[in-house]
Amino acid sequence: MRISSNDAIALIDANNFYASCEQNINPNLKNKPVVILSNNDGCIIARSPEARALKIKMGTPYFKVKEKLNKLDVAVLSSNYSLYGDMSRRLMNLLKNYCEQIEIYSIDEAFVSISRPNDKNLYPWARNIRSLIYQNLGITITVGIGENKVKAKIANKLAKNIDYSAGIFDLASTKNENNYLKRISVDKVWGVGRQTSNWLQSKGIKNAKELRDMEENEIIKKLGIIGKRLQLELKGYKCLPIEKNKKSKKEIQVSRSFGTPITKLEDLTQALATHAIKASEKMRSQNLQSSDIRVFARTSKYSNQNYQKSAHRKLTNATDDTNSILKIVVELSKEIYNPEYKFSKAGVLMQDLTNSEYLQQSVINYKSQKDLKKSSNLMRTIDLLNKRFNNNAITWAITKTPKSWTMNKNFLSRSSTTDIEQIPTIVK
Amino acid sequence: MDSFDSTTKRFRIPLLNDSVSAGFPSPADDHMEENIDLNEHLISNPFSTFFLRVKGESMINAGIKDKDLIIVDKSLIAKPGDIVIAMIDGEFTIKRLSIKNDELYLKAENHNYPDFSFKNHIDVQIWGVVIYSIHSYL
Repeated sequence: MRISSNDAIALIDANNFYASCEQNINPNLKNKPVVILSNNDGCIIARSPEARALKIKMGTPYFKVKEKLNKLDVAVLSSNYSLYGDMSRRLMNLLKNYCEQIEIYSIDEAFVSISRPNDKNLYPWARNIRSLIYQNLGITITVGIGENKVKAKIANKLAKNIDYSAGIFDLASTKNENNYLKRISVDKVWGVGRQTSNWLQSKGIKNAKELRDMEENEIIKKLGIIGKRLQLELKGYKCLPIEKNKKSKKEIQVSRSFGTPITKLEDLTQALATHAIKASEKMRSQNLQSSDIRVFARTSKYSNQNYQKSAHRKLTNATDDTNSILKIVVELSKEIYNPEYKFSKAGVLMQDLTNSEYLQQSVINYKSQKDLKKSSNLMRTIDLLNKRFNNNAITWAITKTPKSWTMNKNFLSRSSTTDIEQIPTIVK
Repeated sequence: MDSFDSTTKRFRIPLLNDSVSAGFPSPADDHMEENIDLNEHLISNPFSTFFLRVKGESMINAGIKDKDLIIVDKSLIAKPGDIVIAMIDGEFTIKRLSIKNDELYLKAENHNYPDFSFKNHIDVQIWGVVIYSIHSYL
């Protein structure tokens, strides 16, 4: 073994996360092929292993395979983010107990740091955590271990591709690391995008080993410090730390595809207003305020029209007040509307976010403290009521939802783990 | 509690409201405690605990009735004597994990319901251990 450092980093991710969540809480789906559709029931974004075995491809538009899926008796589900979000929260909290630091990287993956025991062998730790997560949540995880994040990512890929790995691979404990790095093509290395990958290929660099051994100056000239860091990590140095407290979001976006495309200004405004209310609510729940509000709309990528437009308004004072934001969004929606086009998607973005706790009112646009307090009290009350009595108990008149633009979620499973009215039933 | 566990934020309804300031301050103000939170007392492994609803009378002799709310802890390893939730043939089933002649089986706590033998069944999973059932008398 050539392990020098006592610290290791593991990338832990859940296999077929969305499908596993569904199969774990619904006995009817156990051991059956299951596919999950994207928002608006567009295309296939997740598959259970049973569906994989049927050679159903990721990203396939649902309408193209509807009949085939039916014939093969595949269960088709809309994405149920209240379920996946809850299971993700459970997963991350459980993982936290078995590592030193954790950085939640996405809904179903996390980087964790862990010290090696005296014998340097982390396989027992990984096996333990793997069986524990399966027992507790019914979810199978893959554990890739390395000296740093880039290598942990590579190890995770290897764990998935090597049959005998049983979902665990420690790249730092192999005797012939070069052979394993050769198996990873450059476009699969974490941080290498399509353009970089094309450039590397044109230079004859095909895999992770060749990238590691590439002339340093050449990579710095093209990719700068990022390229250098990447190469150093491949050499075994630790450049990218575990980010325990990730910076708060830079922007909040709420956008949806329309069930059927819309052409009327009224419909567009209404949709944007609904999104604006949701976005304001999100901001308040995170103590954030925005001083740059943007709206956008676009036509379908599949249609022959190709139109997209956005408009924004910068504010002197950051705000989280739904009333003020709605006024702006209604005005902005006129700016992006165009009667010639059928819009298939629209959304709002709250940009330039600041923490409302440290907010300073600008002197020029000073709103009296009393007004400010009044509006924030009102917003807080509305948020509370909506939380208490389910969403949208109280909302703004502008959002009376017509059916045409709400999202299609025709195959939505229940909020089995988060809503007492929807918990599973034991029948026998 | 855990910093990024959002569900532990819940509404606590205080017994007294400190904005009522007329008259003398209540002598109990200094002794206000948080209210009793059943989650805290009933659930020791919140991240592996799930709720289910019973339909039917198959466990009536164990005191579990129709419409009862069942709290299941998936982190516990089932042992004989435990009431468990199993996934059998595409359904959730509630039974007592029992042992007879050195063989495990699932016992229905109602004579009108059949026990379940693991023999001849491949597709059975003990899903979790029941830690509480909650019955409403209203």
